[in-house]
Amino acid sequence: MMNRSVSFEIFRYAAILLALAITLVPTLWMASMAFKPIAEWSAAGADLTWWPKNPTLDNFRFIFGTSTSDLIVALDRTAGKPILSSLLSAVFGTLVAMSCGTAAAYGLSRFGSGQNLPLALIQLRLFPPMAVMIPVMIMWAFLGLVDSWWGLALIYGIVTLPFAFWLMKTFFDDMPREIEDAALVEGCSRTRVFMKITLPMMRPALASSALFVFILNWSDYLIALLLTTREWVTIPVYMASLSSSMTGQLYGAKAALGLIAAVPPVVMGIAIQRHLVRGLTFGALKQ
Amino acid sequence: MTSLATREKMPMADAALNQGVATADDGRRLGFALTLPAQLLVLFIAVFPLLMQLYISLTDWSPLDGIGWWQAYELWNSFANYTDLMADTRFWGALGRTALVMLICVPAEFLLGLGLAILFMDDFVGKRVFYSIMLIPMMVVPAVAGYMFFMLFQSGGPVNDILSGLTGMNVSIAWLSDPTTALIAVMIADIWQWTPLMFLILLAGLVGVPEDQVRAATLLGASWWQRFRTIVLPKMKTIIIIALAIRIIENFKIFDTLYIMTGGGPGVATETISVYIYKVTQQDLIWGYVAAIALVILISLSILVSLAISRMNKKKEA
Repeated sequence: MMNRSVSFEIFRYAAILLALAITLVPTLWMASMAFKPIAEWSAAGADLTWWPKNPTLDNFRFIFGTSTSDLIVALDRTAGKPILSSLLSAVFGTLVAMSCGTAAAYGLSRFGSGQNLPLALIQLRLFPPMAVMIPVMIMWAFLGLVDSWWGLALIYGIVTLPFAFWLMKTFFDDMPREIEDAALVEGCSRTRVFMKITLPMMRPALASSALFVFILNWSDYLIALLLTTREWVTIPVYMASLSSSMTGQLYGAKAALGLIAAVPPVVMGIAIQRHLVRGLTFGALKQ
Repeated sequence: MTSLATREKMPMADAALNQGVATADDGRRLGFALTLPAQLLVLFIAVFPLLMQLYISLTDWSPLDGIGWWQAYELWNSFANYTDLMADTRFWGALGRTALVMLICVPAEFLLGLGLAILFMDDFVGKRVFYSIMLIPMMVVPAVAGYMFFMLFQSGGPVNDILSGLTGMNVSIAWLSDPTTALIAVMIADIWQWTPLMFLILLAGLVGVPEDQVRAATLLGASWWQRFRTIVLPKMKTIIIIALAIRIIENFKIFDTLYIMTGGGPGVATETISVYIYKVTQQDLIWGYVAAIALVILISLSILVSLAISRMNKKKEA
């Protein structure tokens, strides 16, 4: 529908390159910061260093507690445990959301069970988490789930259940029923059809939905901020707490940690970009 | 949980089939078993917590009082929290600020996303790579994005450096310590992160517009703008509504990036509703009051949404 004139092509490339630059600069700045030695962290008095002049891995060594050569401060805890906490809570949260969501989606898509779920789950997504956290904090304290990765995994599973359910529902709706029907005629029970035929066929859909849900769980900050205090804080909470009275903001160390946190979801997101629209719009739109 | 439930069902279902019970019955039972875990999770997170929230909101309870939440009736204050809320200027300020951020960010993200999507409509060299790069911001963990922009907006940071380069003057704005520029900075961060989402959804919509109609209109001599307005936009209506609705809902919750960048400050300059509730929860610890605020927000949102849905249904029927 476009006029493919030369001037339009020039304009297109100019605009897109500008957008790409704006997209990339913040990310690249953090990546570059992660490899800068402490002397280049801030531009106090000197020129701003866009690219590390003396690239170093000290920031990474510092957050894992193996070297504090330039930084006089020692961390009271290293980044290892927060990374583990983020991983465990996001992986198991994804498991909870995907198993409950897939089962419910199939139940609704094939047998019409749980007609209330689509709307109920959308509503769950609608409310700001901050507006429902008081009772959750009280319940989690009562159940002894505060400051544990399994407590986080449970709430993550609930928070991302709407996405898992809606995504899988659209995949089940799209799936031709002939194969299932054929197996039923052969005398397979419906349960066996689901376990032995439907689920294996849906493997790609399950994989991309699970990655999508994982990204959402991995990205959380607010819930972990409220439900973890010390032992099992996640990467973003730990990162925000990194600063010291000696050097102020630990720019390089935080940037190194931020880079570690940012890479997995970016890679996964690009891997599943074909299904992103479906996920983000609750399956209302399929690309 | 799920796999256990289904596995238990299996022999029973097989037996039912062998005995010649109708498969519809079998399916209904399986459907019930499959939806049960999700139903239980929804009950667990919706019904009981809401009742608890309602109860606590009618008291002065705080976790520091040394009594369990169920004993909160000892601190009963009827509707004092709700009347306090009406007079709470900080609450109304935060609500107004949230609305302001939404009114600026969502249209900006929409227009930028739409513009980019139009540029991406037909093929050109590098399209696939550019497309992937374009999606990066929304994949970055929001808290990390907040930290990126925290660094960018330092007075000796890259933003001022670029501005200095462009203007030839020595720009050293302390972005995050001035109320106005701090608000601008957090909005820029939000627009940076979520324009890609608009771009992605709108591009999917644009690609779905039937090409033959557009081509026919071109042959009839319709200008680009005429084609866009009379063919493309009407076809895109639902998608535009969905995209806007998603961003409005998510933008209302804005917390992570903003809190990392400014902590709601300076003063209350960037304190949105989520930040305000968070601060009352963590610093003032008056959870009875927080419960009241939260309930008011939940109820208002529910009313707004059911109004929107019923209006849309009415339009569909008409």
